[in-house]
Amino acid sequence: MNKDKIPEKIKELVITKIESNMPSNLKLSIGSYGDLTKEEIISHVKKGDEIGKQIVRVHMSFLKAVASGELAKKMISVENE
Amino acid sequence: MNKGMIITLPRNDYVTEYISQFSSEIIREANKKGIKVKNLKDKKVNQKEFEAVIKKLDYKLIVFNGHGSDKTIEGQNEVLIEYKVNDSILKERITYARSCNAAKVLGKECMKNNKKGCFIGYELPFMFYIDNNWISTPKKDKIAPLFLRPSNLIPISIIKGNSAFHAYENSKKQILKNINKILRKGGKESFLFAEALWNNYIGQVLIGNSSATL
Repeated sequence: MNKDKIPEKIKELVITKIESNMPSNLKLSIGSYGDLTKEEIISHVKKGDEIGKQIVRVHMSFLKAVASGELAKKMISVENE
Repeated sequence: MNKGMIITLPRNDYVTEYISQFSSEIIREANKKGIKVKNLKDKKVNQKEFEAVIKKLDYKLIVFNGHGSDKTIEGQNEVLIEYKVNDSILKERITYARSCNAAKVLGKECMKNNKKGCFIGYELPFMFYIDNNWISTPKKDKIAPLFLRPSNLIPISIIKGNSAFHAYENSKKQILKNINKILRKGGKESFLFAEALWNNYIGQVLIGNSSATL
């Protein structure tokens, strides 16, 4: 992912998700990239820069974990503890 | 090596301010258990001071709060630990680094040829959301603890006498519990929170001796 360009359709998907789900009072902290507002996150994804790629990676990784059943399996394992 | 903890508490931006303020839980637990603690705060989180303290006190548990990269862990605006420079000082200790990516190269390399120490950290950027309304009073923030408390559990579990593996597992289980709680509660931001928590879950690794205890 780091060296590749983010496909436009994936950018659109991630941006739509952030636009509709991230309240404006929230900021996202990604280590040395600092704390980012909703607008800054969207701008990085649009540009497809290093921060944008990290944000897309996080979204895709979660989607894969949901789709593969990995997340559900892990959550069941701690549900009764 | 002596039973005790050195913890770095830099505050050079909001990210480090948050993780340092939320570290008070870790220090409180150490005090409760009678574990000696050396706090390195603000400007004192520099390489010279850190190396001097570690040499003098020789504490076994090291907790880093600060920015990081594949090969470095930072303090207050400067590198504290760097691969091939001074990473050998971590070799036989129990290290928890709440620093992005530092487990990737630095953590792996400093645990090579070593049977005693262990390194718990992240191979990915450590992520958390904050409520901007509380940015100047982080402890009042209700969002950040969802991400920071599970990570605090790593040193807290070790302070309580558990093995590094137990501490690592405790933290990971708490991340999953928080994902579960958030998704059940609903709300439009729930998936964003769950994604960031999942990132920390998959990024968190333990390298070295998983049976290590304080």
